[in-house]
Amino acid sequence: MSSGTIPILKIGPTLLATIQVDLHDTVVDAFQNDVLEEIEKTGSSGLIIDISALETVDSYVARTLANTGKMAKLMGTETVIVGMRPAVAATLVRMGYFMSGIRTALSLQEGLELQAERLQKPESE
Amino acid sequence: MELGIQPDYMKILKLDDEEVKRRFDFFELTEEDFRRLTELKSFANRCTQEITEGLYELIMNHPESRAFFPDEATLSRVKRMQNAYFLHLFSGTYDLNYVRDRLRVGAAHERIGMPPKLYLGAYRRYLALIHERLLDHFKGNEAESIKALETIRKIIFFDMALAFDTYIAAYLETMTRHQAAIRELSTPVIKVYDRILLLPIVGTVDTQRANQIMETVLVQVVEQQARVIIIDIAGVPVVDTKVADHILQTTAAVQLLGAQTVLTGISASVARTVIQLGVELTRVDTRAKLSEGIELALSIIGKKIASKKKRDPEDED
Repeated sequence: MSSGTIPILKIGPTLLATIQVDLHDTVVDAFQNDVLEEIEKTGSSGLIIDISALETVDSYVARTLANTGKMAKLMGTETVIVGMRPAVAATLVRMGYFMSGIRTALSLQEGLELQAERLQKPESE
Repeated sequence: MELGIQPDYMKILKLDDEEVKRRFDFFELTEEDFRRLTELKSFANRCTQEITEGLYELIMNHPESRAFFPDEATLSRVKRMQNAYFLHLFSGTYDLNYVRDRLRVGAAHERIGMPPKLYLGAYRRYLALIHERLLDHFKGNEAESIKALETIRKIIFFDMALAFDTYIAAYLETMTRHQAAIRELSTPVIKVYDRILLLPIVGTVDTQRANQIMETVLVQVVEQQARVIIIDIAGVPVVDTKVADHILQTTAAVQLLGAQTVLTGISASVARTVIQLGVELTRVDTRAKLSEGIELALSIIGKKIASKKKRDPEDED
């Protein structure tokens, strides 16, 4: 299990992290470590980060989350960030931070579907 | 107002017993003043006609103010109301009902569009007329007439304050209503199909509107769990770098939510300017016509528009 405050659950081939606490710099750093270690341990092929509970996301947190996705990708794991709130999206974009290269989905449900689709045709991406 | 509904100014201006008391305090209206006003009742009854006539002499001598009283019937009606107003000053009860009546008078002036300058100017003549009559009434007793005038001045200023508060509240009301109407009109988000939204943008897009468009789009996408939002800019007269930038931002934000944007309504001239300006719109899915945009959106959610199969020849005609 993870050592930080954010639980990372394994559902089949996918890891699910639901963030429900405010993300301070140290928390998000710890989270990045936990996720990567968990991927190494389980060899999961997909990662879903649910941020629907977050009302604010600062640029450091956004960058760390995006980087986590890119790091996971290097380890062969596809990341989907789900449930971003409108206000968060607007703020990030206004700050010029587009999180390019990261997949997103409207809800956890859609994120799971996206991961499942990807598994069915693994060479498509 | 337009619908015949009077806004509740008592509520808007938060006029309760305490507020009225605070106002009386500030205008230094004391029990003594109220008593003096009540004592002047017979004086008021005697000279209200004269004062009203004097007031309307001023009003009717100036084309700007005369315009508010187009015919004899209106004039005699407002004169009657003026008399009633005057007598009410000396009625003896100065409570919430008094205030409500004063607000009604203020609202009536606002409704007919009487500008404050005329309202205030007429009040000046009004006070002068009252002063004249008071000197006459207290013949020789100057001290008493000064006291009486001061009392009347207090209550009249108290009334004017209420009228002005009504003016301002009414303007604010109208403004808020218009702003809300414009806001709503400027970003109509239409559900085209299950999980496909359409936002036609008509008119100039400035920064404020762009921000509002982005907000509406994002909220609607999440609320309706839309997969695709089609933004149609056929009605935007000029697409410059700024507008293009706003569109790019909105597109990026929609992407962050996990949905997609399709941009349609791009005319030849818009395409030309955008490229000449060096704006990078290639990251956005674009189409010339809205119909093509809808087709694209459908294909994104895994649907397509197909022609109906021809029926068997036997079934025809």
